[in-house]
Amino acid sequence: MATKEELIEQLKNGVIEYQEDEVKEAAQAWVDDKLEALEGIMDGLAAGMEVVGEMYDRNEYFVPEVLMCADALYGGLAILRPHVPKQEGGLNAQVVIGSIQGDVHDIGKNLVKMMFDVAGWDVHDLGRDVPLENFVEEQLRTDSEVVAMSAMMTTTMLGMKKVIAMIKEKNPNVAIMLGGAPVTKDVANLFGADGYAESAGNAVSEGIKMIGRLREMQKK
Amino acid sequence: MAELTPKERVMRLLRKEPIDTMPFFSGMGMVVMPGIEKAGVNFPTIHTDAERMAMSAIWSARLMDFDCVVIPYDMTMESEAVGNTISLYEDSEDILYPTIPNKMWSTLEEVTIPDNIWEKGRLKFLPEAIQIIKKEAPELPIGCWQLGPFTQAGQMLELDLMLKGVFKQKELVANVLDQLTDMIIGIGKFLQDAGCDYITLREPGVAADLLSPRTFKEFIQPRLTRILAAWESPKLLHICGQTEPLLAMMNECGADGLTVDIKCDVKKGREILGSDVLFMGNVDTYTMTCDPKTKKEQTIEHIKGIIDGGMDAVMPGCDLWPAIIEENMKAAVDTTHEYGAKPSPAVGRL
Repeated sequence: MATKEELIEQLKNGVIEYQEDEVKEAAQAWVDDKLEALEGIMDGLAAGMEVVGEMYDRNEYFVPEVLMCADALYGGLAILRPHVPKQEGGLNAQVVIGSIQGDVHDIGKNLVKMMFDVAGWDVHDLGRDVPLENFVEEQLRTDSEVVAMSAMMTTTMLGMKKVIAMIKEKNPNVAIMLGGAPVTKDVANLFGADGYAESAGNAVSEGIKMIGRLREMQKK
Repeated sequence: MAELTPKERVMRLLRKEPIDTMPFFSGMGMVVMPGIEKAGVNFPTIHTDAERMAMSAIWSARLMDFDCVVIPYDMTMESEAVGNTISLYEDSEDILYPTIPNKMWSTLEEVTIPDNIWEKGRLKFLPEAIQIIKKEAPELPIGCWQLGPFTQAGQMLELDLMLKGVFKQKELVANVLDQLTDMIIGIGKFLQDAGCDYITLREPGVAADLLSPRTFKEFIQPRLTRILAAWESPKLLHICGQTEPLLAMMNECGADGLTVDIKCDVKKGREILGSDVLFMGNVDTYTMTCDPKTKKEQTIEHIKGIIDGGMDAVMPGCDLWPAIIEENMKAAVDTTHEYGAKPSPAVGRL
């Protein structure tokens, strides 16, 4: 039988090497051994994804590899997450996420969503091609702390500006994250957003750094 | 100052023959709201009617002094022609290009491109639009374009199937790309037969921030090369995003010129390519032409920087976003014509 340390390595390396089956096996063994699920998620799956982010930054991995790593991570997360007790399951925080109307691409959005899923947030995923007012309505309905929007093309980016104005008018405390290929830091500032990621890859990088910070917080 | 018509200027430039001054033109969308309004039509209808498409293109060029017209405007014609349904967003107050919200093929195995696809859907009215432009605006060169096979696959299928398939299902990915390559060759020839003056192969989905240069070399480069070899000149190749690691390979694909966007460092790009390659770009199509906070002087400096960096023509790095700030747009074009009177690395002056 594998030790706890060995299982952690299996979870982590399985994500890095995009071996979904190995991750699932290790996650099942983790649950069978009655180990703390949250530790498996954070020190195994999320730690592996952090390495993936570093490899992406070094141009060792590109988006295809990252997508496969994400699949492996979700394979493990589906097994481990149900075993995390509610009170320690995360921050009890909520996020509304979606790709904006006119945009049917959702790779970047899904990678950012992964970050929130790992962190144990309640994710309200509106999908893609989402009419602007739906972001506002969903934020009000759920009282979510964060609204994250993605646009893959310049042609849809401008819609973000309207959504931000609509949300901030009704609830100025909501944090807004923007992402997508055409979104630069200047554009995000200009639109009044609180955070940004300029590409699917950048979303991965930024998202993974956030996971890293969450792991540090968890350890304190 | 102008001795040549826009058509003469662009066509000579594409053959690297001396011209009077630098053109402001593109291989991608150049339709802008003032032109659409002048044509008396609204945005969703310019994609579905040859006359509306032609007249909005002509008025956009005439009002802004562009050196070309480019049709079509949207990226969904081929996907619609294989049987997908487009969303035109006719009720939206915003400018939204047509999309394919749901794709009928959910696996790589299902992809089957019909023969003579150009006889289907909206593709078949493009020759009519070309003829209207030729008749109404003979002074303007007509640019047409095709998406490259990888980006086109993203219109036909969920893009993550292709991205993951590059590792897990190589043969299936190759099969999809080969079918699309044949389709793109066919549509390009159809557009050239219909009278388009130059054609651009645009493959934005393969930049070095998405795919590795190794994947580019294995999957993309051979197919881009095959397409460009099958088309007549003049033919251009455009990739946006991080292109510096790809420029040398792009240059091997057989295009008459290369075009890039704002993420490419022009000076570095020129160093990589040398002075003989026709190299064009890379106007920032939001900050410089649409952002109300950008002063006209900043746009002028941006254009001068592109010319001084060693570009042979000033081109938007992407489709122009239609909601332009007119003053800045005109300043961009005027600066190109005035400041571009001096020779560029690959093209001399009359």
